Amino acid sequence: MTPPVLLGAAVVFWGWETGLLLPATALAVLLEGARAVAWRVDFSRRDFHRISDLCTVVFAGSAVYLFTASGTRVAGAPGAMTVLFQWLPLLVAPLVVCQAYSTAGKVDLGAFLWAYRKKAADERDPSTDALDVAYPYGVLCVLSASAANVRTPVYYAAVCLLTAWALWVVRSPRFSPLWWVASLAVASVAGYGGHVALHRVQQTLEEMAFEYISSLVRRDTDPFRSATAIGHLGRLKLSDRILLRVTPAAGQAPPFLLREASYNVYNSPAWFAVGAAFTSVQPEAGGETWKLAPGPAPEASVGVSVYLPRGRGVLPLPARAMEIDKLAVVRLSKNPLGAVRVDEGLGLVTYRVRVGPDAPLDAPPTGFDMAVPAAEAVAVARIAADLGLAGRPPAERLAAVAAFFRTRFRYSTYADRPLGQSPLEDFLLRRRSGHCEYFATATVLVLRAAGVPARYATGYSVQEWSRLEQRYVVRARHAHSWALGWVEGAWRDLDTTPPVWADEEAAVASAFEPVSDVGSWAVFLFSRWRYGEGEEGVARYLVWLLVPLVLGLAWRLYGRRRIGRVTTEAARDEPAPRHAGADSEFYLIADRLAAAGLGRGPAEPVSTWIDRLEAAHAPVTADALRGIAELHYRYRFDPAGIGVDERHALRARVEAWLAERAGAARARAHD
Amino acid sequence: MKRVAYRLFRSTASFQYRLGRQLTPAGKLVLVALGAAGVIGFDTNRTVGYQAFTLLAALLVVAAAWSVVFRVRLDIQRVLPRFVTAGAPAAYRLVIRNGTVRPQRGLVLLEDLADPSPSFDEFLRAREPGEERRNWFDRTVGYPRWAWLIERRRGAGIAPRPLPPLPAGGAREVEVALLPLRRGRLAFTGVTIARPDLFGLVNALVTIPLPGALVVLPKRYAVPDLALPGVRKYQRGGVALAGAVGDSEEFVSLRDYRPGDPLRRVHWRSAARVGRPVVKEYQDEFFVRHALVLDTFVEHEESDVFEEAVSVAASIACSIQTKDSLLDLLFVGPETYCFTAGRGLGHTDHMLEVLAGVRPCRDKPFRALRDAVLERSASLSGAVAVLLAWDAPRRDFVRRLRALGIPTRAFVVGDGTTPAGGPGDQVQHLEVGRIGEGLARS
Repeated sequence: MTPPVLLGAAVVFWGWETGLLLPATALAVLLEGARAVAWRVDFSRRDFHRISDLCTVVFAGSAVYLFTASGTRVAGAPGAMTVLFQWLPLLVAPLVVCQAYSTAGKVDLGAFLWAYRKKAADERDPSTDALDVAYPYGVLCVLSASAANVRTPVYYAAVCLLTAWALWVVRSPRFSPLWWVASLAVASVAGYGGHVALHRVQQTLEEMAFEYISSLVRRDTDPFRSATAIGHLGRLKLSDRILLRVTPAAGQAPPFLLREASYNVYNSPAWFAVGAAFTSVQPEAGGETWKLAPGPAPEASVGVSVYLPRGRGVLPLPARAMEIDKLAVVRLSKNPLGAVRVDEGLGLVTYRVRVGPDAPLDAPPTGFDMAVPAAEAVAVARIAADLGLAGRPPAERLAAVAAFFRTRFRYSTYADRPLGQSPLEDFLLRRRSGHCEYFATATVLVLRAAGVPARYATGYSVQEWSRLEQRYVVRARHAHSWALGWVEGAWRDLDTTPPVWADEEAAVASAFEPVSDVGSWAVFLFSRWRYGEGEEGVARYLVWLLVPLVLGLAWRLYGRRRIGRVTTEAARDEPAPRHAGADSEFYLIADRLAAAGLGRGPAEPVSTWIDRLEAAHAPVTADALRGIAELHYRYRFDPAGIGVDERHALRARVEAWLAERAGAARARAHD
Repeated sequence: MKRVAYRLFRSTASFQYRLGRQLTPAGKLVLVALGAAGVIGFDTNRTVGYQAFTLLAALLVVAAAWSVVFRVRLDIQRVLPRFVTAGAPAAYRLVIRNGTVRPQRGLVLLEDLADPSPSFDEFLRAREPGEERRNWFDRTVGYPRWAWLIERRRGAGIAPRPLPPLPAGGAREVEVALLPLRRGRLAFTGVTIARPDLFGLVNALVTIPLPGALVVLPKRYAVPDLALPGVRKYQRGGVALAGAVGDSEEFVSLRDYRPGDPLRRVHWRSAARVGRPVVKEYQDEFFVRHALVLDTFVEHEESDVFEEAVSVAASIACSIQTKDSLLDLLFVGPETYCFTAGRGLGHTDHMLEVLAGVRPCRDKPFRALRDAVLERSASLSGAVAVLLAWDAPRRDFVRRLRALGIPTRAFVVGDGTTPAGGPGDQVQHLEVGRIGEGLARS
């Protein structure tokens, strides 16, 4: 038994932290009220099992409900697990309340463990293992409160206070309270220092792990830096995993490109985005429309579904994106190089992008967009000179560069050791084969050498129609890079990689690709349902499923009248309940015979009594009496009871017997 | 594989035992809460559960630090009763003398019973009831069997006993409640004095060796009067241990000496008077003598059926009135035993003590018991047989006893799977778990 008010305080604390103060206060009053009220219910073991089952069902129902309903359209809300854990004290409250108002004051262990229930069912004389759940419930309240993640000193202070309160009760009488207080202070300070240190350690570890993983993943969506495989040796192999699902706008024919980010500074082998700080984008009314540029957006839109690990990531967008619609995220930001990033959102987002006439996302060129690194400058200048680009209009320069790469280069995912100093120089002057990063980087640098501001863009090429899903799918191997050229006041995509690249990549696809595609689609459908993107409203109705469940259980619990109410004072004075068959007419015979001095001895069985009467030649018809007694016994003790006919028969036979006896008595009197 | 599992179970059980002693109930709750907080607060960004985790960890560390040093000198004497009964709560006393110059407060006494862990061979041989119905993993690894064995071999339940304050140099007597769980010898190895730390979480322990033992009698059921039929039979040698030492003391007459009469029977005064040897003649003893035959032939060492059979035998031994008759308890252990009670010979208590120590016999056939009983059949008025099966040898045994004119009541203890005999067999089947009910019907 917990000390007074402690459990109530823990419950109120939990309510305070989780924002469920009202139910928590009610619960606390209910729990602490048990001390003031003498009223108790005599719950049996099976009643506790049922209450525990009820809690389990409510828990399962809540889990299903939260899992389907939580986070739908309310991105940034805590996950279903967290909410469920926050609700836990409320979900198991019936068990604790029943304990508080039970005569036993403890809960049978079978309520928690099926093994115990099974054991108790197997054994005729089960041992009575029971647990006082008050303290564990207090612990649960404190831990559930932690799930609210209120990061103020209140939580730690309250936990210290509640713990001290509980420990004060069990403290050893051997030690002085001063020592106790001092030791507690030491533990509290150590605990405080420990948790601050623990949090720091995790942060440091996370940073280290993030950097390590980033270094492992070749293609990342870091909008500030894009590592390329330029200069890497051996064959590039990209996975067949489906990353995006795309519905093109009406009239839009694949292949087309979805850009994630662009970069302006090349420092072999990586591209960097310099001067590309993110600024936040404010949603329109409704919260799901994000305008990237002012002005009315056209109706036609491209639909994209993309997974965002941990609810964060860069969105792939078509060129000249003006507005993103139906994007349910909390925070969105963009940078001057055209990258749009979700800072807080769900694990899967589906959105529609409306495309305008120009590219408002990308800032006009700066000095960075003209710089050619020294290592590649010679080779690039030589190519630019060979092509005779100087003096031609920018559009022509773009066309010439595109033609140059298309006609003189071929696509290869295999790279050998570079012969020259720079891998790019080797690509441009000698090998003339490589993968898209070579083409894109070389194009950007050649354009810059020819005086056209250019940037390096990464993203995906949309080209594969999925008959299974009836939409375009983009795989990891469709990741692509290309150049952006500033022509006539706008950024234009310039993809110089030979178009055969996609076929070459597809040729080495895994034989199990169709199988994994089905799995991927299933995961996608599940995720859509999970994040509430499917048919809305299903989750709303699921909660109603709980109502019949709860009602059914309540009926099972109370309907069988297994719970007897016992008021502790009144219990002793109550008369014993009338037993079955107490209204049997056989007792009339017994009374009559007792009046005649032939009564049953104390604890004498009826059959022995009748035998005795017969042996003593008492004036009774023993055989008739035996028949009546047999029926009476069945009425009295047969668990199945007797039928209506038999009941009538018992009454009739007793009446007949009494009448016969009365007649005989009259006859004797007459004689 | 089994050996690895056995070692693992053994070390885990020993760890659990030590942890269970080292931590108070509050300490256990804190440990569980620590584990839960560790899981919940694992990601320190997601919940603040890690704050509770570090606080609880700090509390346990401080509590453990307080428990490192604990010195106490106590002289303890355990006053045990001679025997107690399995399943019946009992109590015994401990006299504790504080040998230190400081008063001792807040101490808790923990009894150390002999380690119930089975040996590897016992673990291999044992068969848990219903083990064949368990899944493959449980059967192979054998944890349920281990748990069952430990539960069976646990001699008694003794709750930690908080000690009253012990004045410096003074002595106190405390009563300790004991719940014997199974018959046999209950061995104590020592006493552990636990001192909870100031938070009441971690115990500092001091163990004082204090061996002791008591006999736990078998559990007994209420048995209605068996009303054993039977006639009085001639008992060679008379009452004074009919068949062991001495002769009957009931003097009948004097008669002439016949060669072979023992010299101690010569009535010297009469011999002097008549001038030839005269001897005293004593009454031949006729009285009722029953045999209580206990079948000990089971396949496995630890068997519920066998334990219940011993309980049934003990119940019957107590219910048969031995004031005017003799009762022979016959069973086969390493050899054949016959223990007689009644008419001032042995007491029923002794018989129960014998039953407390009965072990199953696995190296002899049932024939050994049959022969032992039939050997004594001439002096028996009746027999009660408590059997563990109803197979051909046992059926034959009961049939032969009855054929010899010895009224025989047979009880067959089974676990519900034992094939029952036909109605003509006149045996009473008792099912484990419903023994009391079955006996009440007899």
